[in-house]
Amino acid sequence: MGNSTKTSFKDVLYPFTVWKNILKEPVTIRHPEKREGSDRYRGFHTNDIDKCIGCGTCEEICQNAAIDMVPCEGVDTKPGDSGLRPRVDYGRCCWCALCVDVCTTNSLGMSNNFRWSVEGENRGEGNEANGTPDDYRFIIGAENKYWDKAEKGYKKPDGYDLTPPDRVQMDHLSVEERSDSFIEMMKGYSKEQAKKEADRCVECGICTATCPAHMGIPAYIRAIREDDLEEGLRILYETNPLPEVCGRICTHKCESVCSIGNKGDAVSIRWLKRYIADNVPAEKYKEILGTSDLAKNGKKVAVVGAGPSGLSAAHYLALMGYQVTVFEALPYAGGMMRYGIPEYRLPYDQIDKDINYIVSLGVEIKTNCKVGKEISLEELKRDYDAVFAGTGLHLGRSTRIENSDHKKVFQSIDLLRKITLREEIYVPEKIVVIGGGNVAMDITRSLARIQRQKYGQVDIVTTCLEPADGMLADDEEVDEAKEEGAIITPSYGPQSIEIIDEENVKGLHVAKCLHIFDEEGRFNPAFDMEDSQFYEADMIIESIGQASDISYIPQETQETLEFNPRRQIVADPDYQVKNEPWLFVGGDIAKGPDVITGISTGHLAAVGIDRYLRGDEK
Amino acid sequence: MEKVIENVQKKFSLSEVTSAHGYFITCEKKDAVSLVTYLKNVEGFKHLVLITAVDWIKDNKFQLTYLLNNPQMKKELGVRTYIERSVWPEESVMDSAHHLWPAAKTYQRELHEMFGIDFPDSPEVNEPLILEYWDDIPPYRKDFDTKQYSEDTYFPREGRETDDPATYMKEMLYPFEGEKNV
Repeated sequence: MGNSTKTSFKDVLYPFTVWKNILKEPVTIRHPEKREGSDRYRGFHTNDIDKCIGCGTCEEICQNAAIDMVPCEGVDTKPGDSGLRPRVDYGRCCWCALCVDVCTTNSLGMSNNFRWSVEGENRGEGNEANGTPDDYRFIIGAENKYWDKAEKGYKKPDGYDLTPPDRVQMDHLSVEERSDSFIEMMKGYSKEQAKKEADRCVECGICTATCPAHMGIPAYIRAIREDDLEEGLRILYETNPLPEVCGRICTHKCESVCSIGNKGDAVSIRWLKRYIADNVPAEKYKEILGTSDLAKNGKKVAVVGAGPSGLSAAHYLALMGYQVTVFEALPYAGGMMRYGIPEYRLPYDQIDKDINYIVSLGVEIKTNCKVGKEISLEELKRDYDAVFAGTGLHLGRSTRIENSDHKKVFQSIDLLRKITLREEIYVPEKIVVIGGGNVAMDITRSLARIQRQKYGQVDIVTTCLEPADGMLADDEEVDEAKEEGAIITPSYGPQSIEIIDEENVKGLHVAKCLHIFDEEGRFNPAFDMEDSQFYEADMIIESIGQASDISYIPQETQETLEFNPRRQIVADPDYQVKNEPWLFVGGDIAKGPDVITGISTGHLAAVGIDRYLRGDEK
Repeated sequence: MEKVIENVQKKFSLSEVTSAHGYFITCEKKDAVSLVTYLKNVEGFKHLVLITAVDWIKDNKFQLTYLLNNPQMKKELGVRTYIERSVWPEESVMDSAHHLWPAAKTYQRELHEMFGIDFPDSPEVNEPLILEYWDDIPPYRKDFDTKQYSEDTYFPREGRETDDPATYMKEMLYPFEGEKNV
């Protein structure tokens, strides 16, 4: 200390040396400075509200719990969009940008703006300068912040994805291996493949609303990730007692809204469901699902039709203690799953695995027993406490064009049924199919296989009104049909069938379809007759849709039924028929048509029947 | 640079040499400090750019990287080594390099604080660098649960509420059908 008190001459002069800077520009920047953030600065958040689907993945990944998902004015909840939007709390945000990196739609970003102070009317009490902390909590992109339209700032770099954009492909039979065989084409996921695919799911649950049965999709995918297939099976059976079937042929509407499908492939939800069902042995089902010892309640329910809706209703009724008897007109249970969908898409032993489990719950299935013929609906009404009808759409619809009533003009649904029953069917060398839905592809691909077996080559033309990008069939069905040798000619509509004589047809005249629906949205196709074609054929198949056969319902009951414009029976949300409280309907005659909707209606009707028979209020 | 690596390989055994994104060589833990000493004194890598670590939790290893700079060559070389990853509260241990570069003590202090890697004899290595009164596991360890810490430490702002997308969609789109799952 002693030395430091001694003052030198230099120390006296030193304070004055700074004067030499008096005429220089200051090196510091004056406040308020206008410096812009760098191009990829992680500043205030931006969100394209129209692109965002409210999946909540940003909230999930946020390590500071800074994000809440909240309803947002002007945003509606609809399939594929929760209607929620992220609200961020800048008291917690640490600007790490994980929310931007994980965003499934790329709607979230960050601007390079970093200055924001709340003044004026937002000024909070006791904090006149800066407002209250709540002022710094806002729905990103929805509150007109000055940086909402900023172009610079952090965006997720291209090619950098926390969820891999490509789905795990499933092994399948090559064209050579499958084109003359009815062996199942898709081989199923291995454990490794399934876990890898399950890893792509962000568990947002947006898919659940779109699934007609509202399956617990994120939960069963998590079970795959955790390698707990027993838990996975329990989750499947909460909403769907036909998982082997749906794991193969479901219309998988869920995948069309999958959040990560917004910037890559959707999660392969259907194949993952199949993986669970395929990998739990049938003999363990009762133990896993806890159904070894079901208590009976002494009440009886009749189910008409052993299709998806009837089996679903029977399953859930059996769980609730009802004695269920299913009446099936055909020799085997399964309905359209067996008699509509070809074996190469859905092998019969897989349908049996699902059905046998339902039977094991005490459900009785009477096959070759057609209601309206072997037994009447009145008898069922008399002998049972309630009746569920899920009789489906088993009548083919005709185009009603000239000569469509000819002997060599067939309905696809009749042929598919005969193929299942192993009945001999007429398969000539040249075939034309009219229709562009999945059933049209089913008959096309089935007959192509038989042609290849019989003649060593395929000659099938499948024509439909819809343009190639608007065909009703799944894209993979169309692509695989083409690979197997069928020719698909979209945008052409049938005009007339030319015949040779009573026994033989010559072919089909078609014309270019200009539009299918008129200005009022009604089905009213218009054609350009200048652009017409003629497809030679020995056989013509109509596959333009199906209709129900409800002739088993007595006339006086039919008269009380109401139908919607799609000719579906109108029922209440319990699928109970107005004026006929003992009767419940489901499946394709009430909604849909598709398997998963049938399963859902069967389940809802089962709950409704239980409510009705216990005399509970709705 | 190839020449430098050739020289190094004559004296030390390297398990990996990569040049995909700059030059990185990997050596055994026991050789790491001798190797950087050699690079500094003989090969002219006089400047220590940084020392950092990566937690390879599944392999039960910490990867340490000494990034060195040769001002003459205007080249950088990373020296990597793997050390055993301790189970907290036990600390991993590594030899100190502060005698080569005084600045090393600051990086080592940081690694001690953030990863729980101790560098005995390194000056002030037990002093906190930026964390005050830290009583949790070192936060750069991958088993540190950032979200949990955040929830436990910072109180939630009043009036915050959030909706689960799937549940909210059920209420909005199919409230009736939701009952079947009861």
